Amino acid sequence: MAAHSVWTQIRRHYWGYLFMAPWVLLFLAFGLYPLFLSFYLTFFNYNFINPADQAFVGLGNWVAGFGDPLFWHSIFNIFYNQVIFIALTLVIGLAIALLLQTITHFGRLFRTIYFIPTVVSIVVVMTIGGYLVSPTGPLQGYLVKWAIMDKAIFWKSELWLSMPVLALINTWKWFGIETVILLAGLLAIDPQLHEAAAIDGANSWQRFWKITLPMLNPQLFFILVMNGINGLQMFVEVYMNFDLYGGIYHQALTPVLYVYAQAFDKSNMGYASTLGLMLAAIIAVMTAAQFRFVQRDVE
Amino acid sequence: MKIKKTKHRRIRWGRVAAYLLLLLGTVAVIYPLFYMLMNSFKPGTEIIHYPNRLPSHWVLTGYQLIWSQLNLPRLFANSLFLALSVTILNVVLDGLAAYALAKIPFPGRGPLFGVMLGTMMIPSVLFLIPTYIIMYRLGWVPGFQALIIPGAVSVYNIFLLRQFIRQIPSELVEAARLDGASEPGIFFRVILPMSRPALGTVAILTFMGSWNDFFGPLLYLNTPELWTVQLGLYQFQTSVPGENAEQIWAAIAVITMPLVLLYFLLQDQFMAAFANVRFK
Repeated sequence: MAAHSVWTQIRRHYWGYLFMAPWVLLFLAFGLYPLFLSFYLTFFNYNFINPADQAFVGLGNWVAGFGDPLFWHSIFNIFYNQVIFIALTLVIGLAIALLLQTITHFGRLFRTIYFIPTVVSIVVVMTIGGYLVSPTGPLQGYLVKWAIMDKAIFWKSELWLSMPVLALINTWKWFGIETVILLAGLLAIDPQLHEAAAIDGANSWQRFWKITLPMLNPQLFFILVMNGINGLQMFVEVYMNFDLYGGIYHQALTPVLYVYAQAFDKSNMGYASTLGLMLAAIIAVMTAAQFRFVQRDVE
Repeated sequence: MKIKKTKHRRIRWGRVAAYLLLLLGTVAVIYPLFYMLMNSFKPGTEIIHYPNRLPSHWVLTGYQLIWSQLNLPRLFANSLFLALSVTILNVVLDGLAAYALAKIPFPGRGPLFGVMLGTMMIPSVLFLIPTYIIMYRLGWVPGFQALIIPGAVSVYNIFLLRQFIRQIPSELVEAARLDGASEPGIFFRVILPMSRPALGTVAILTFMGSWNDFFGPLLYLNTPELWTVQLGLYQFQTSVPGENAEQIWAAIAVITMPLVLLYFLLQDQFMAAFANVRFK
């Protein structure tokens, strides 16, 4: 009887399955199958130009991956970059959202302008930004002129400067989105909360920490998770500015750049797959930790 | 009375400071774009020797050089073809899936939606190598289909559209069903017209993502006939300082301005596309 009614339901709502079919089929072909293939490849030496050379290596790629200092260097590099990037965009994005909330005129104009970099492609952003911060560019020119710096620096060959400079250029591109997301969150906060707290004697600093920030938790959480998933997979920024191994000290080698180099420069598809899975596992752990610790605070 | 008067007269220094800081931010956003346009109208020697000054005389050399060295109409046609194909497919296919998830109570709907949400968390680096191998074996490299077919649907867009379609009263759908309308008929005549804001969001996000994409075309369209604007521009990047200076500035101005103009025309839709995102 129960089975019969399920069958009736299925027949009655068959359009639902037809409408879902494009996603399901594309997911099977270009989602699930590649995932299995990726895992399968980690046990082989594989080169797509000469597939006949495929050789089983067991756990060899995994052992090599865990012991590969360049991979761990790339993980360190991307975290170094992301910590600076997230701090810069969150502070600037939140400060501008708060400023936009206090003004009475031109708010729309300011928002429109701050959002422009969002539509500029990363190739263009990196080209302009690269010139602006280059040794002959205006930024270093003024820093030297005002005696903040002794002489211009070639940041692309500096061990500790390459990643912060890339984070700075990326901040220009992305702070506008965070401003818009955080401003939407700020405007959704009931003003009565602030009024009640003010009557109870809370100053604006206390109200910011006790009301504004906790109420922005969904937006902050979204920004952190999205940065965690996207930011840790940085590629174009370093591909454009450095060689395939991230510069003379590998100071700008990101994990995805290293995966790309192993796959298309060294033709080690199996090893590249292994490194990709290792990065994905690190991202999964980060995301799970954020869901566990940040989201718990919401309740 | 007295108190009121002083309050009225007092300049709000906090607000003045807010305007000044926001103005500073505006300069920081505009200056790099101004720098790009300014350098795109300079002769090459001036770009190298005086990159930070206004041109002594404004020239179109850079624009003429990229026009003669690249097949610009072809690059734009390729970018448009790719972006429009992906956008149209996403609007229709994501819309159909979102409608099914929101309004058709087919058995298995809940678990399927759970699986879809889970796939949003998979980092795309996992697909990089195996997808390239699959496309290579299919003989789709180089070719547009390697980007258009896997890009025809997006869980993120389905998720956004489902949230919107759920808010459309079910009575409307039920009434149309009682009138004998088919499910595709309901989708095209009831759901699509009522979801225009959300479909606009999806169209903008998809079009922009495709137009600005570099990694995808680098892998799958890396041959001059298939180059998109982003890849075409990249051909002028060299490691030799000062080389191709005129072409680089003109090229990035040419590929950036269409999207900036589109943004000014549709700014509310652009911002709405990003303002309403969150997990729930």
